[in-house]
Amino acid sequence: MFDTNDTTDTDHTHDGHGPGDVGPVMSAAVRRIAPVWKLEDFVAVNPYLGMVDLDVADAAALLHRAAGARSTAPIRHRLQQLDDGIITRQDVADALSGALRHSAVDVDGFLAEARSSGELEGVRPALTLTSCAEAPGGLDLDRFMVERLGAWASAFHDDGQASWRSAVRGEGIFASWRAEALVDRTPDLMGLRGFRAAVAELPADHASAATSVLSDAGLSAELLELYFQALLLSVPGWSAVAARMDWEAGLRGGEEDHLLQWLAVLVCWDHAASAAAGTPTSVETWRGRLADRARHAPTELSIALVLQDARDRAARRELARRLETADRAAPSVAIDVRAQVVCCIDVRAEVLRRHLEHVAPDVETLGFAGFFGAAIEVVPLGHDHAVAQCPALVAPAHTLHESLGDPDRADHAVRSRRLRHQLRAAWKQFRTGAVSCYGFVSPVGLLYAPKLVSDAAGLTRPVPAPGTAELPRWAAPGLTPAPDGRVAEVPLDARVAIAAGALRGMSLTEGLAPLLVLVGHGASTVNNPHAAALECGACGGHGGATNARVVAAILNDPEVRAELAQRGIEVPPGTHVVAGVHDTTTDQVTLLDLERIPATHRDAVERLGSDLHAAASRVVVERAHRFAPTARDAADEARRRSRDWAQVRPEWGLAGCRAFVAASRARTRGLDLGGQTFLHSYDWRRDDDLAVLEQIMSAPMVVASWITLQYYASTVDPELFGAGDKTMHNVVGRMGVLEGCGGDLRVGLAQQSVRDGSVLQHEPLRLSVMIEAPTAAIDAVVDRNQAVAQLVTNGWVLLHAIDPEDGRVLGRASDGAWAPVACGPVGSDLSASDSEGELAA
Amino acid sequence: MERVHAVGVLIAPLGFLVAAAVATTAKGVRPTGAIRSVRLGSWIGLAVAVTSCIAVATGGAVRTPLLGAEGLGLSVRLDPLSVVIFTMISVLAVVILRFSVSYLDGDARQGLFLSRLARTIAAVQVLVLSANLAMLVVAWVLTSLALHQLLVFHPERPRAVLAARKKFVAARLGDLLLVIAAAVLYRSVGTGQLDAIFDEATAGSVASLPLAVAAGCLVAAAMLKSAMFPTHGWLVEVMETPTPVSALLHAGVLNAGPYLVMLTTPIIAQVSGAGVALVLVGGTTAALASMARITQPSVKVALGYSSAGHMGFSLMLCGLGLLPAAVLHLVAHSFYKAHAFLSSGSVVDEARASHVPTPQRLGSPVRLALGAAMAVAIYVPSAFVWGVRPDSEPALFVLGAVLVLATTQLVAAVTDSDGPFVAWLGGAVLALVVTSLFFAFEATMHTLLHDLVPDVDAGRAQLAAAGAVTVGFGIVLVQQLRAPSRRDSERRQAWRIHLRNGLYANALFDRLVMWLWRPLDRRRVTATPTGRSTPTSQPALTTAARY
Repeated sequence: MFDTNDTTDTDHTHDGHGPGDVGPVMSAAVRRIAPVWKLEDFVAVNPYLGMVDLDVADAAALLHRAAGARSTAPIRHRLQQLDDGIITRQDVADALSGALRHSAVDVDGFLAEARSSGELEGVRPALTLTSCAEAPGGLDLDRFMVERLGAWASAFHDDGQASWRSAVRGEGIFASWRAEALVDRTPDLMGLRGFRAAVAELPADHASAATSVLSDAGLSAELLELYFQALLLSVPGWSAVAARMDWEAGLRGGEEDHLLQWLAVLVCWDHAASAAAGTPTSVETWRGRLADRARHAPTELSIALVLQDARDRAARRELARRLETADRAAPSVAIDVRAQVVCCIDVRAEVLRRHLEHVAPDVETLGFAGFFGAAIEVVPLGHDHAVAQCPALVAPAHTLHESLGDPDRADHAVRSRRLRHQLRAAWKQFRTGAVSCYGFVSPVGLLYAPKLVSDAAGLTRPVPAPGTAELPRWAAPGLTPAPDGRVAEVPLDARVAIAAGALRGMSLTEGLAPLLVLVGHGASTVNNPHAAALECGACGGHGGATNARVVAAILNDPEVRAELAQRGIEVPPGTHVVAGVHDTTTDQVTLLDLERIPATHRDAVERLGSDLHAAASRVVVERAHRFAPTARDAADEARRRSRDWAQVRPEWGLAGCRAFVAASRARTRGLDLGGQTFLHSYDWRRDDDLAVLEQIMSAPMVVASWITLQYYASTVDPELFGAGDKTMHNVVGRMGVLEGCGGDLRVGLAQQSVRDGSVLQHEPLRLSVMIEAPTAAIDAVVDRNQAVAQLVTNGWVLLHAIDPEDGRVLGRASDGAWAPVACGPVGSDLSASDSEGELAA
Repeated sequence: MERVHAVGVLIAPLGFLVAAAVATTAKGVRPTGAIRSVRLGSWIGLAVAVTSCIAVATGGAVRTPLLGAEGLGLSVRLDPLSVVIFTMISVLAVVILRFSVSYLDGDARQGLFLSRLARTIAAVQVLVLSANLAMLVVAWVLTSLALHQLLVFHPERPRAVLAARKKFVAARLGDLLLVIAAAVLYRSVGTGQLDAIFDEATAGSVASLPLAVAAGCLVAAAMLKSAMFPTHGWLVEVMETPTPVSALLHAGVLNAGPYLVMLTTPIIAQVSGAGVALVLVGGTTAALASMARITQPSVKVALGYSSAGHMGFSLMLCGLGLLPAAVLHLVAHSFYKAHAFLSSGSVVDEARASHVPTPQRLGSPVRLALGAAMAVAIYVPSAFVWGVRPDSEPALFVLGAVLVLATTQLVAAVTDSDGPFVAWLGGAVLALVVTSLFFAFEATMHTLLHDLVPDVDAGRAQLAAAGAVTVGFGIVLVQQLRAPSRRDSERRQAWRIHLRNGLYANALFDRLVMWLWRPLDRRRVTATPTGRSTPTSQPALTTAARY
């Protein structure tokens, strides 16, 4: 990491005054920022995405230096777990001898140090130029910067809230900010006299502006990068929005520089504000502070990292022990499988699968990414904007149009929707118009009294459900992405590719049961800005029913089956594929497109439907334990939550996620994994060229790590990476939330999503990945995929192999060596999780 | 008409106070006792409100005899005005408290929050029921003190504290003005009973100077309470506290300004300057705030500006002597705004449903004029049907003009679009429904309140002021109608930036408050160099009792 070299020396050797120096450092700095998606399609993002080329400890050090971030659970908490026997001394010893650097090598010495240590100080360091300036009139300049830049950014990124747009659009971030800064009188009025004049002197081009500002500072590349990181992380939310614009350009194959422009804005603000602050700012003081901070390496951080690593080791040891013992106890799958049910890998599906297998032992369940391999986008009926139904890592390959079977009826519905939308838009202008709002409230306002009461009682929704909004009532039930059970909008070869990819990915190229059910999942919540976070992440934060229906239609397509047969994948003529959807909020499972079921399969489908119903009613009871006890029936309570407009926890989402298992179900069948484990079906014997394994490790495993790390970061540093308190959320620009009236956009998950009062529902752990395959196969994939290699070798996920022969779990150290992780039984008889045990208490 | 048992209506605020006391003692997560007590309190309040509605509807207005000395003390009035507002607050209390039970679930300070909400509701109810100056002043001050506690529910949030301080400055200034008005009136009339004061004032037996001072102070106090420009800054920033507080504040507490004006109309109506001030300040705030509103990118700040505008509009109606219309507007706004705040998370659902192509706006003056003509063509016959002659009363003409401007916005948005003709029909039908509802509700309110409200005719000065405001509204409307089809010039862009910043009144208010609190803050300065959270908002992991 950063050397603590003398800054003046580097100035001379690298010609730190030269304008060429700033640009590359800026480019390097912006790569560290992870993107954030709009609320409409809010998907989990690994907040450390830009740091995966560093190992966990280096990233934690960097984040701490630049932003005072915490990257682990508190030391005190981990020590408590040590006392409680959840972490063993052996875990600590292993962690000490592992890749993490710490001076103490013997466990006793380390623990003595840990027990006498305080917690890591989480205070943001003062690294800006303005923090060295004398602020006029008691103004907190750093906070003022976040407020003012937030005010501009809110208007610039506004996606339809303000009807009078007040930020210059279309000329890029820097030009728009500069235009506003020349007009906005606030800094001058708040005592920063001359702020506008200072901005006016800046070059209009972002790169030259940043360079000209920093040319006299004489900062080495190291200090520059620290300064840039500190700036970007002082407004992590708006930085992430700019990063997403770059990301989307990248998905389209282009390259754009929104985040670079944003960094230039931050640099220029800092410069102009300190120039306007009145008293001359001492550049030497500033450089000194940066240099001090670059050397900053608190021992609390390294202690906390070792303890975090020890806890991760304990968790994986426990999981490995259970997997190894379960193998012996697993009930064998019935030979005559009545139906195969494929669920999403989502941790919530684990609960459903477990209960379904319990009520229907002759049903086999499988796990596969919930978009079922169809990278599609769907244009809702009458809309002009496609919704991506695939993971954020993937660009949609095909565009489908939602429709009704009958074209005339569809036309009618489209016309009706557009007319209603036009009138609703006119009504909204009337309601919010600068003059018309006064003519609106007197006659219409009173009608909100009954609406207020019925919305509060959960009888109505504040606004119509978006999927069917503005459609005539008769049209809603017939909406389908696959009219007539066909997906004609995707060419045949692409359909065949989707079908083959899905069957291979599920290891279902042979042995198909008469009934194959694809169960996507979605959530139903009301008045919840973060609704998308509870939906299917593999479907881009949208409901998974669409993908299930599309892929089911493709797999039932006779043309596709014929082509598949030519490629050696035999779908038996007696196999029918049905789509279904699991509502994770109410825990209801519904089978879809039932009118297309052939007569031969009706009984089987009906029977499976009642099995799913029975399983779901057990799921809802199990999940109710995570909420406060209530006298109500669990299913009623879940329904009530899903309709309550004041509900901040309609469901727990993926809170608690901690492991990813890619194996045959025989390895996990019968185990209660507590809804904390992503389960992907994988049979290494059918994967000769390791294409499926590489696919699993480079896509579903990465997505699982994103989700886990998002929960991790929102828990360990809710200020920097969490979305704050839901009760103060204020939706800005219809695309994100502020906490309160302004400032930075909040990213990540809200407190309410990870904790319940003071009790955490999510224990911050790194993802333990368990793959049933020979270690050589796994090594081969790690070697040929750089993104996977980074995650694994830098410790962002903990990679394990389940030995296909004896079922033993081997862990992969960062040097690539494999060793068993479950070293004998440990005195812990807890069920799936230790924290769950605590929660029950 | 003095019936002692009407004092029973005080059971409602008393119930909330008891509930608040119980809730304060309930500590920790999911305080069942607190939840039950406020729930019970809110249902009792609603029952009392409904009973008092029935009582007033059947038995007429009631005022209880004074409990106190020297003409000051406890006295309750139940008349159509107070009962309407009282019932509205009771309904809002049920909804808002119910909302808070789910919304703050899991918060360790939920009991305290519910307690503070209940206290504030109790204070507002007492304010509304006051029939004596002393009771009115005390309830007025307590309302804002109780609210202050809610605004700083998260005292570690610097912006919340700053906004609350701004509110504190405005509120104490308002308190002072109200106290002066009360003292002047008490000295002149010799009693604190409002009825007696109003009788004397209408009879003309109060000297003109004290009357003018009292009216001026009352109007100014109301303006400060209701965040009139340029003191609106705090209102658009108090979303630094949980949403139910915003709902209660905007729907239940902000109203106190217009309510004070309505209540003391017999005094204010005697002083024409007061009416002119109400029309000018109210009208200006209405125009500026609603323009600032449509430049706001965040939903809650937009709602904040909207509230300031609606309070301004209500005060303007009061100034014009249109009390029934003002009461209707106030009550309608309360329900609308409470719903808007509580449902503010739904804008994301709206965004998801918004990707439907809409017809192009043409910006054609002819089509826009056609829209305006349709609005007039709907208004004039409707007025005739409802038997209203706008030309008979100039103040009503102003109100009618605002409605026509509003429906013009509705109809012209359709006629100026390149859409199907059937949309024109839809727009016209909506405008007809709105216009009919307008007359129906205005007529109802007039029937309810006409014998309560002194027949005040707006003076020529008020009308001139209202005329100016209406012309201003017209200009704003034209700007807004033309905006969707017009390229933004640099000057217009600059004005929008100024508007988004509330014309910087807030920045100046910030400086004032920072200067006022400087001595205090300097003492509290900590070693923490910058503002990444104060210790209390540090990642709660360290403070978590359990992990």
